[in-house]
Amino acid sequence: MRGHRTTIAILSALALAGCAARAAEPQGQQAAAAPAQPAPPPGMPKPVTLVDRPNATGGEKLYVEHCAMCHAPGGMGSGLLGRRIDQPDLEKRDNLVAQYVILAARRGIGNMPAIPRGEVSDEDLQAIADYLAAGPHGGAK
Amino acid sequence: MAETPLPPDFTAAKMAQAQKAFEAALGANKVFFTELDRASYQDKFAVDEAAHHPAGAIAPASVEEVQAAVRIANQFRLPLWPISRGKNLGYGGTAPVLAGTVVLDLSRMRKIEFDEANGVVTLEPGVGFYDLYDYIQRHKLPYWLSTPGNSWGSVIGNALDRGVGYTPYGENTKSFCGMEVVLPTGELVRTGMGAFSNAPTWGLYPFGYGPAWDQMFVQSNFGIVTKANMWLMPEPESLMGMDVEFDRPEDLKAMVDTIGPLRREGLLRQSPSIGNWLRAAAVLTTRDQWTDKPGALDDHVIDAIRKRFNIGWWGVSLRLYGREEVNKASYKVLEKAMTQIRPMLVKPTSWVKGQPLEYSGWTGTPLTFPMQNVNWYGGRGGHIGFSPILPQDGSVALAQFQRTYARYREYGMDYQGSFAFGERHLINVNAMIFDKDNAEKMGRIDAFFRALVADAKAEGFGEYRTHLDYMDLVAESYDWNGGALRKLNEKVKDALDPNGILAPGKSGIWPRGLAGERRP
Repeated sequence: MRGHRTTIAILSALALAGCAARAAEPQGQQAAAAPAQPAPPPGMPKPVTLVDRPNATGGEKLYVEHCAMCHAPGGMGSGLLGRRIDQPDLEKRDNLVAQYVILAARRGIGNMPAIPRGEVSDEDLQAIADYLAAGPHGGAK
Repeated sequence: MAETPLPPDFTAAKMAQAQKAFEAALGANKVFFTELDRASYQDKFAVDEAAHHPAGAIAPASVEEVQAAVRIANQFRLPLWPISRGKNLGYGGTAPVLAGTVVLDLSRMRKIEFDEANGVVTLEPGVGFYDLYDYIQRHKLPYWLSTPGNSWGSVIGNALDRGVGYTPYGENTKSFCGMEVVLPTGELVRTGMGAFSNAPTWGLYPFGYGPAWDQMFVQSNFGIVTKANMWLMPEPESLMGMDVEFDRPEDLKAMVDTIGPLRREGLLRQSPSIGNWLRAAAVLTTRDQWTDKPGALDDHVIDAIRKRFNIGWWGVSLRLYGREEVNKASYKVLEKAMTQIRPMLVKPTSWVKGQPLEYSGWTGTPLTFPMQNVNWYGGRGGHIGFSPILPQDGSVALAQFQRTYARYREYGMDYQGSFAFGERHLINVNAMIFDKDNAEKMGRIDAFFRALVADAKAEGFGEYRTHLDYMDLVAESYDWNGGALRKLNEKVKDALDPNGILAPGKSGIWPRGLAGERRP
């Protein structure tokens, strides 16, 4: 199975879902943590939110705000894409087309539910799609 | 092109007029009536894909705009279905009960105000768990959230649907302390101390003076909550506990009978959840990695899953929150109690402030990865849940499990069950994971669900929350004294919402004019 380290990380975090945490190998520590905070223990990475990207603007800011909960490392989208493709992190992709991103978000794709316009406006979705199409980007810094 | 679904006795021309009125009041960029809009607001995990289609959606961004939308809805007698962020995916998500309803999407109302001294946050419905988590990090606030397994959604939306988390504040609906609500006729009210002008105690004392109404607006269709105060848990000095595994299905009895008294006594203050082996397998793997046999997983496969993840038939994580000294003393009691019932594995955990934090539900960290279980069967996945409330009695819980497990096998479904502790009750969540691309299997879900409702009903157990498809069925099961509670609910409904415009059918509550739409 792809992404063995991620698998271990997720399993150790499954305490939430009622499963006992297992001994986990040390993860590559996520650079996402705020500088003052100690590195997290082995297990799930810290969720990526705007506080981790203080300089983000435009499409990047909107991506973190609306998409990172699933598509940053540890998220559902990241986990499921990791089963199918080599690079599950959308920000690190070099082959995303803006129109495709818009279509996938609006109609839903695979196990990703459709994102309606009340949640993300056309203008904001276009900015997110343009940002991803301009990738690869540095990711969680 | 598909026709716009319409509510009963409505015309396309009238819907077009209503759309124009919404556009005039809110601006065209907050009104969504294209075919793609309608599709994007449908139930993403629908068992019956033809049901619950909205006519369109509107996204007001302020209380005044919500009031304007409600006035228009009354003018046209057009049903509105309020959603906070619409991410309660196993319960219908963004979709309304009644086809042709217009979704009132509150995603764009995202204000956060924080009273740091008291640990009270005032939230609009569009604020998600990740938004609030970000706010707390940004302002370095010493408070933890109580997050559900899918934290994509709204904080107050989850509490308004009685969602649960895993910390001592895990019964999220109990954390409400005062609301601001737009009534179905458009008036704005504040509950509790919010009714007292300029009271600094709105978020501190939940009851106010006279009747207390917060729970009236929970799982109901009596008002649109546009703002609510919620209490957050102060960051504890220490978090200590254990992850415990048990070998046999029958061990459920001893687990419930041991954990229940500790919870009622208050030694355990969090909301532990006992769960079975499929939780790990369904999140981390797909079914075809284990077997190609149809029907429920057999014992050989279950053994293989347990061996690979080194887990029991049941597992539970127990956590103590608070002062380190107190936790250390409590841990000894917990350890003794759990050891006496012979677990197959105990893994202690310990954290004190300043150490690296575990990013899990136990620390109120928002998560989405547990939803990976919808990929278990491959294809376009989804799930719904059957969740009766049980007493904290081991024999009762075991018998309920055995009945339910037999049904899963009868209907060829893989069993994912849990028993989550409240203060005096258990919520027995039975997840039904499915593949929407498997028509034959999808055809069995409805009969399976109804069998579970009937089995539980015969034992006196009712659901705490349910999917759109079953709101009438579950409401009907609350039948004491000729369904007196439903009659009261509908009397209140008709008094507050004379035109029946707000979320008809929510929780089985129908306005007078649409009572014929009831579908138990």
